[in-house]
Amino acid sequence: MSILIIPCYIKNAYDEKCIHRLLESVTRQTTPFEKVLVVDDASKYAYPIYQKEVEKITIASNSGPARARNIGIEKAISLNIKNILFTDHDCVLDENWNKEMSNCLDNNNFGAVGGMTYSFGKTIYDKYHDFNGTLNGKWLLPKKQELWYMPSLNFGMKSYVATEFIYDEKFPTAAGEDVDLCLRLRSKYKIGFCPKAKLWHDYGYKGHYKDFNKFVKLFMKYKSSSATLYEGHTVLLWDSSESIYPGNMYESNI
Amino acid sequence: MSLIYNIKFTKSSFINIFNDYYSEVKHFARRIRNPLLKILMIILKSIEWGIYHWYKSSIRRFYGVRGNELIFNITKRCNEKCAKCGIWKNPEKDDERLSIDVFIQCLNALKKNLYQVTITGGEPLLFKDEILKIAKEARENNIPVVTVTNGVLSDEIFVQKYGEMKHILVFSIDTLNKEKWKILRGTASYNIVMNNLNIAKKILGKRLQIQTVLAKENKDDINEIVTYCKKNNLKHTIQPYMDFGGHLHPVEKSSNNTSNMPCAARKNIVILQNGDVIKCFDHYRIPYAKLPLGNIKHEDIITILCKRRSIEVSRIMKYCNLPCKNLSCNIPATEFYD
Repeated sequence: MSILIIPCYIKNAYDEKCIHRLLESVTRQTTPFEKVLVVDDASKYAYPIYQKEVEKITIASNSGPARARNIGIEKAISLNIKNILFTDHDCVLDENWNKEMSNCLDNNNFGAVGGMTYSFGKTIYDKYHDFNGTLNGKWLLPKKQELWYMPSLNFGMKSYVATEFIYDEKFPTAAGEDVDLCLRLRSKYKIGFCPKAKLWHDYGYKGHYKDFNKFVKLFMKYKSSSATLYEGHTVLLWDSSESIYPGNMYESNI
Repeated sequence: MSLIYNIKFTKSSFINIFNDYYSEVKHFARRIRNPLLKILMIILKSIEWGIYHWYKSSIRRFYGVRGNELIFNITKRCNEKCAKCGIWKNPEKDDERLSIDVFIQCLNALKKNLYQVTITGGEPLLFKDEILKIAKEARENNIPVVTVTNGVLSDEIFVQKYGEMKHILVFSIDTLNKEKWKILRGTASYNIVMNNLNIAKKILGKRLQIQTVLAKENKDDINEIVTYCKKNNLKHTIQPYMDFGGHLHPVEKSSNNTSNMPCAARKNIVILQNGDVIKCFDHYRIPYAKLPLGNIKHEDIITILCKRRSIEVSRIMKYCNLPCKNLSCNIPATEFYD
C-alpha cells in the first residue's frame, strides 16, 4: 500500500510535458499505487491531468515544495496509507519503481528509503551528474549500510515516520529541505538504499551553449542551501558520507 | 565564529583549501575511465567545488536552520527534597559554580546553532538575576529559553521580567494531592506553589507549562493533573521517571525500552553548574563518556565540541539505547521564535 506524492509548480509547456511523461510512467507501474496525488503549488500555467486515478490538489498561494509535500503527507496519513513515496514532476519512473520501493520499506527496518536516480538526458552535463551522483543519496560511511540523506525526488518513508518528521516549510525552494528532513529523521530512524528502484531525472539540458549557465545555476541553488544546512546542523560534523553513483551502488551489505 | 567554521579543512589556509579540493577531485576522477572525458569532468567538478566554497565563505554564509539545544544545569542546589531526584543531596560550594559571564560567552559562541536554551538544576530560581541575564542575551539572539522550576520561588516581579522577553517557564508538578505532595516534594509547599502558579499563569498565559514526572508512586495522580491543565489551558508534558539519584520507581512502560531507536540527544550540549560540558544527563552511563568532554572555564566551547572525543561520544550516543531516550530532550526539533 503506497501513495505517490508529486509536488509541482508548472511554469511552461516543457514542464507540462514533463508531468505528463511522469504520469504515463506512473500508469505503467507493475505494482500500481494505491493513490497518486499531484499537489500543485499554485502554478500560473494551466494544465490538464488525463489520468482519472490521479488526484490533484491545488494550493491557493505558492508556498514551496516542502508545503506541497506536507499537504500530501497529511492526506496520506488521513487515508491510513502505509508507505508514502515522493518524486518530482521532471522524473520518469521505472516500471518497477513502486514495487521495489514498497518492498524495501516493507521488508526492512528502515524508516525511509531512497532509490537510484539516473539522468534522463544525454548531454555532457547529464553524464557529469551520473558520475557525480548529484541527485542520488549519500552513503553513510564507513559501513555503507544506510544513507546519510536521500533527495526527495526518489524517496519514500513509512507513514508513522511521517507523523513525526515532516518537511520544514521554511525552505522556500526545492533545495535543502530534503537534506534537512533526512538529518532530523536519522536521529531516530535509518534511511535505506534500494538500488533497483530506478528513475530518471530530466535536468532540462538542451545540448547547446546555454546549458553551462543552467549547470552553474543548478549548483548555485544546491550549494547555497548546503552551506545553510551545514551551519545549522552541527551534527553534520560528526558523520562522513559519499555520493552514490553507478560504481558504488552495490558496495553495501544491506 | 560558529561551530562549523572551526573544523580543520574549512580554515582558510591555502594548504587546507588545496587539500580539500584535491581529495574531492581525486576521488571523483577515479570513477571515469576515458581520459578525455576525465579532463572534461574534472573541469566541471572544479566548477562545482568552486561554487560550494563560494557559498561556504564567510561573506556568503547565511543562517536558517538551528539544530542544537543548549541545556544549562545552573545549580545543584535546591530548596525542595524531591523523591524523584537526588541532585539536592550534593549542593555545590559557592566557588564551584560557573560565572554567568562564562556561560553567556558560551551561548554567544553557539548562538547561530541553537533552537533553544533550557535552564534547569537543582532549582534555577535560586539564581533569578542570572536567569534574567541569560534570558536577555538569548532574547537578543532570538533564541527561546525554557526554565524548569519547582515553583516555590517564582514571584510576580521575576515572572513579569522573564515574561516580557517571551520565554517559557515550566512548573514541575507531580501530584495535586496535598498529602502526597509532602512525600514527593519533601516539603509542604503545595499552597505556595499553587499560588505562584496562578500568578505566573496570569502573566505568562500559554508561555507557562506544566511538567510531570511519571513514576509508580504518582501514576494515579496523572489524570487529575491532566484535567487541571486542560481546565486552565496549560500545556502539559509527562516525563517518565529516570534514576537520577532519586528513590521512586519507574512505571513498567518507561523502564522497558526495546524500541532500538537511536538517541537524538547528541544534538544537545549540556553545561553543568561547574562549567563541565556533557552531551546528556545519562552521559556517565556510557563507558567511553564517564568524564566530561571539557570545561568552558578553561576552553572555548567550540574547541571542546570539535575534539575527536566529542565526535566519538556523539557517535556512540546514537546507538546507546539507554532508557532515557524517552525523555523530551530526546525529541528532535527545529524550532524558531515566532
